Amino acid sequence: MKADGQQLKGHLDVLLLAALEDGPRHGYAVKEALRDGSGGRFDLPTGTVYPALHRLETAGLIAGSWSIVDGRRRRTYRLTAAGRRRLHADRDAWRDFAAAISAIVERKPWPATS
Amino acid sequence: MASHQLIDAYLDELSRRLPADAVDELADGLHETWRHHLDQGLTSAEAAVAAIAEFGTPTQVNDAFVTHATGRRAARLLLATGPIVGVCWGTSLIAAHAWTWSIPATAASLYATALLSVVACLIAAATSRHDYRRTRLGHIGAAGLVALDAVMLAAVVLAAPILVWPMVIAIPVSLVRMGLTLRHAQRLVGA
Repeated sequence: MKADGQQLKGHLDVLLLAALEDGPRHGYAVKEALRDGSGGRFDLPTGTVYPALHRLETAGLIAGSWSIVDGRRRRTYRLTAAGRRRLHADRDAWRDFAAAISAIVERKPWPATS
Repeated sequence: MASHQLIDAYLDELSRRLPADAVDELADGLHETWRHHLDQGLTSAEAAVAAIAEFGTPTQVNDAFVTHATGRRAARLLLATGPIVGVCWGTSLIAAHAWTWSIPATAASLYATALLSVVACLIAAATSRHDYRRTRLGHIGAAGLVALDAVMLAAVVLAAPILVWPMVIAIPVSLVRMGLTLRHAQRLVGA
């Protein structure tokens, strides 16, 4: 089952931040990381990933830098300290949310929290 | 640098709608995608068609940039909070009998005209769905609003004979709006 942009609305930021957690990537590599990491489910139109990266950069969550590769300008993004903090916070929030949904949909017991 | 005419035409169309930096970045990604498909054994033309299909139509890409444009988002936020600031200052000016202040009528008219122009810029940016350039009016509107806040604060300091209690709310509200807008502008310059 593939997810489109509309279904990912509200989750795209954390997905993009997570794709940059292991190190800097350029836009196409971020899109590939999303696709590969989701087993092909999150296969967004590549061109729509770039504006979301620009917005995260303006928000100070990621930082971009230009380089020249094969005669073309390439912009590479990395997580900032603020982006890393946001990723950790969003990840915790997502775990709570997913556990709550699973508890109802799959009739699983509510997970014990420490 | 190898390419294909379909890719060049695609980028030409985007360059008519989007900033040069964004198009450069898209060009790099599109060439990467094209090369990836070439490595998979497709012909140059097939790889170009596949890469473009993977990227999305120019309209789809353009609209995504418009949706995420900082000018559009700033305009929407300022329009949403504007009425609150407006009510604060409206109450303050009525309570302080602002019409008795020694401010020339021309200056007051100019202020009102500037305010209407700023609101028009913000509305144009906030409602843009397909025109990226129009979203930039949001930055102009935001800068104008900072200037108008500054003028209002200066008018109160210089022309108001007394301070009235609603100003205790209006002045900090304007200062906060100015601070947040300038911080946002600083990020834009640094990005």
